[in-house]
Amino acid sequence: MNISMTRIQAIFMKDYKEFSRNYAVSTMALMPLFMAILYNQTGANAIITYFLPINMAFSMVTTYVQCCLIAEEKEKNTLRSLMLSPASLGDILIGKSLFVFIVTIVVVALTIFLVGYEPANFFIIAIALVFSAVFYIAMGTVCGLFAKSIMEGSIIVLPVIFIFSFAPIILGLSEAFPILKVAEWLPSSQLVLLAEALEGTFTTMDVIIPIATIIVWSLVTWIVAGFIYKKRMVD
Amino acid sequence: MNAVIEVQHLKKTFNKEAALQDVSFTIQKGEIFGFLGPSGSGKTTTIKILTAQTEKTAGEVLLFGRPADEMKQSQNRKRFGILTDNSGLYTRLSIEENLSLYSNLYQLPKSAVKEALDFVNLNSERKKKISQLSKGMLQRVTLARAIMHKPELLFLDEPTSALDPVNTQHIYNGLRRLNEMGTTIFLTTHDMSEAEILCDRVAFLHKGKIRAIGAPKQLKKEFGDDSITVELKNGACEIIQTGEQDAQKLFHWMQSNEVSRIYTNEPTLGNIFMQITGSDLL
Repeated sequence: MNISMTRIQAIFMKDYKEFSRNYAVSTMALMPLFMAILYNQTGANAIITYFLPINMAFSMVTTYVQCCLIAEEKEKNTLRSLMLSPASLGDILIGKSLFVFIVTIVVVALTIFLVGYEPANFFIIAIALVFSAVFYIAMGTVCGLFAKSIMEGSIIVLPVIFIFSFAPIILGLSEAFPILKVAEWLPSSQLVLLAEALEGTFTTMDVIIPIATIIVWSLVTWIVAGFIYKKRMVD
Repeated sequence: MNAVIEVQHLKKTFNKEAALQDVSFTIQKGEIFGFLGPSGSGKTTTIKILTAQTEKTAGEVLLFGRPADEMKQSQNRKRFGILTDNSGLYTRLSIEENLSLYSNLYQLPKSAVKEALDFVNLNSERKKKISQLSKGMLQRVTLARAIMHKPELLFLDEPTSALDPVNTQHIYNGLRRLNEMGTTIFLTTHDMSEAEILCDRVAFLHKGKIRAIGAPKQLKKEFGDDSITVELKNGACEIIQTGEQDAQKLFHWMQSNEVSRIYTNEPTLGNIFMQITGSDLL
């Protein structure tokens, strides 16, 4: 694939300028921070409660913002203009994702700080968080490519926010409703399972399985995003 | 001369309804080719197929000797520029920021933005946000974006439809300069005077079919007659044909100083379109 750093940087800078002037979307980045402050006030200190605002940061900021940025490009026909320029699929998707990735890292780091979570193994959690960010950006890209407008994008993204933010809590109901055990394999649940494992004595598989699961989700979602993007290149 | 665009038996249907039927034409390098027709005749669909934005139903479409589908490849997109009615500009950014983005995407020197702004007479307005622009100014920014990388082939869909006469003339001069530098221009319009001023050849598109194709002068000769109208000083208006008998009449009027005005009855492109299709262009 033809990738150009100049083009990626140009798209990144454009998204930064657009985002900073789009208050409807940019204020969404503050929501998980308020949630984190509220959680901190409750005094909850279980891993699952720490990760509720963290997973919400991923779905409400990463997926939502990426979805809205792409849906707006479609609504205003600017995505078609980008597609008609020499920017390749890689340039556009990396350029558009890079900005959201940086916003995600900042918001998740602040959320972790505000909620008072101190990981037992910072390095492993950091790797899992980075792969989670990649996955949630892919989800936002898919939702944005499906939507015809920002309004439609905001609605499409709601089930994603609900399912992925609350999967670890839904998993807690699996004893009463065994079907909900499927939520264990969602990236947000795997992140919680990894963090819980790291707090005690853990095996290599306790680390590899959650990270590998998140990577597989990311890969599959990015392949779907690339496929839909190619379809959107023609009417 | 090399063919830049070759279209053979192009067909496009939307939900079994034909938008284009058996459309064939060739455009040579350096030509300004006008695709003329009323709204809904298939002009924009043709541009979308040529620029690989829409798939054709049947037929062969070649750009630069290669299938138009290859225009999807990023390296081939530098070869053409496009102006459509959907500006595709970022409304929260300024004119300059929008053009700088595309300058970077095309990897052009920084001077390209200023040159493009000069081309459309917008240098003094470059800091204005897109959301504050009038329709005419938006069209000029979109045109600046389309030409800033000096493409080999330029697609213009109704390029001056929202412009005032001064800016229209400015754009015409710029397009001629661009054409003199070697850019082939494919222009769609329903403005017949624009086609007469700019185009080397035109094609009339009506209900998805090409009804006539040729140089404006050639079409006028083909569809017009050789008659001349002579207005006499006494107010009479005489239509005379070429030939010895009417030449004698004209000679007599001129000799006796009776002639007020003489003009040919050459049809306009609009007249020819109506004659061929039986309908107006708008």
